[in-house]
Amino acid sequence: MVNWDLLSNALVSGVLLGGFYCAVAVGITIAFGMLDIVNIAHPAFIMMGAFIAYFFNTSYGVDPLLACIVAAPFAYFGGRLMYRLYYLAFERHGEESLQGLAFFFGLLFIIEVGLLLIFGVDYRFVEARYIGPSIQLGFVSIPWRLLLPTIVGLAMVGAVALFNAKTFTGRAILAVSQDPGALRLVGGNPVHIKEVAFGISIATAIVAGALLIIIQPVEPSIGRDFIGRVFAICVLGGMTSLPGTVIAAMLLGIAETLTTTYLGPSWSPAISFGILLLTLGVRPAGILGR
Amino acid sequence: MSTASVLSSRGVVKKFGGFTALTGIDFDLGPNERVGLIGPNGSGKSTFVNCLTGALACDAGTIDFGGTDITDMAAWRRARLGLARSFQIPRPFRGLTVRRNIEVPLAFAAGLSDQAQIEAEAEDVLARVGLAAKSRKGPRSLSQVELRKLELGRALAARPKVLIADEAMAGLSDSEVDEILVLLMQLNDSGIAIVLIEHIMRAVVRFSQRVIVLVAGAKIAEGTPMDVLSHPEVVRAYLGQ
Repeated sequence: MVNWDLLSNALVSGVLLGGFYCAVAVGITIAFGMLDIVNIAHPAFIMMGAFIAYFFNTSYGVDPLLACIVAAPFAYFGGRLMYRLYYLAFERHGEESLQGLAFFFGLLFIIEVGLLLIFGVDYRFVEARYIGPSIQLGFVSIPWRLLLPTIVGLAMVGAVALFNAKTFTGRAILAVSQDPGALRLVGGNPVHIKEVAFGISIATAIVAGALLIIIQPVEPSIGRDFIGRVFAICVLGGMTSLPGTVIAAMLLGIAETLTTTYLGPSWSPAISFGILLLTLGVRPAGILGR
Repeated sequence: MSTASVLSSRGVVKKFGGFTALTGIDFDLGPNERVGLIGPNGSGKSTFVNCLTGALACDAGTIDFGGTDITDMAAWRRARLGLARSFQIPRPFRGLTVRRNIEVPLAFAAGLSDQAQIEAEAEDVLARVGLAAKSRKGPRSLSQVELRKLELGRALAARPKVLIADEAMAGLSDSEVDEILVLLMQLNDSGIAIVLIEHIMRAVVRFSQRVIVLVAGAKIAEGTPMDVLSHPEVVRAYLGQ
């Protein structure tokens, strides 16, 4: 006998979780999918965003999301600087595959340890008017703390897609993701374009951090839980495809919530990666990959 | 270096490990000139073009473009100076429409920033290469000859002084070869010096004012098409002993 109440709530929660995953994965779709940069430190930047939101919220009473939106331009320039360093140290010499991976792995731990030293190992949370209340639609309850991240996550993907479609820099990002050599020969500087795109990727991670701490309390090491998920969403979606990222994020969000509801949370990662392997078996390029 | 040359090289050497692909190439291209660059497979034509355009760094020698030493200059800077190339295998940006493909060099190589002007010029370029009707299509919907035209259009949008057309006619039918030849002639008439790398000899003979022959990374002959094709070393290189 199907419990429709339970199923409806699980499906809605899955969509909301998927919306949040959009925010978490859009930066990886840019960095890994489009720029071919295996930034496994991306979740650490998400944690950095979460603690920026925490700091300004608890110290000055600033809304967590607003704090990270203000911090995003700084993160953008920080990301550009980081890519420039990565390019000069590794990519320029063609040593990005292994040494670059080690670079981002090191960065992941440096950020994590830095956050641990500053904020400690305790779980931290933020306060905002929208964190407690829910919208009740029949027997389906939609908490604002999940709805807001979904709206912001989808808006972020939409904004990046619009930027790529409507601006010359955005089109150059698409061009560099397809053929950096050809872009170079029509006068585009791939290093500059990748630098801008990587900056955008890091800025989205900071905003995603605010969304994370709105959803749940955080401590510095939980970022690692997202490494597998963000790469899985990017690959499942088709690497470079932003609509693919949304579909994959929703798919994983719904699958995880249904699994947690009916089988228990310990099965959740197995089901998620099972879907990834099954999809890649049928469609190796991912859902909307070419 | 020749002062009359728009593009020239002296003693260009390129090695891949122990293999010397180019053994010291001297090359001159005059303003508005049409030069054919021929040679058997593996003779070093594409390697030489890659050195000229900056896709590969040469190990020795110098390259001059319009009086500027571009030997160590990045490829994208050379493109902005007016050195364009089309690829042997078309490499359109497949995620962009045909017109957007043309807009990329207009924005970067030609340095335009006004959206309306870029769109108007892109349509103009597409009309010149005969792809106006395909403006809003994706590159996947184009035939082989249309992809070659898109390559040439993209190079043309960079407002080049020199265009290097790398096997722009490979795999095309006779009538399609003629279409590309007409297009290259029109581009040359508009003041663009063109280097044509090609295996189709009738195209090379019809198009080129001067032909250069590379064999095993060395220049073995240079002159008018008829003189070069009857040169004993060229005959030996193509037909064997």
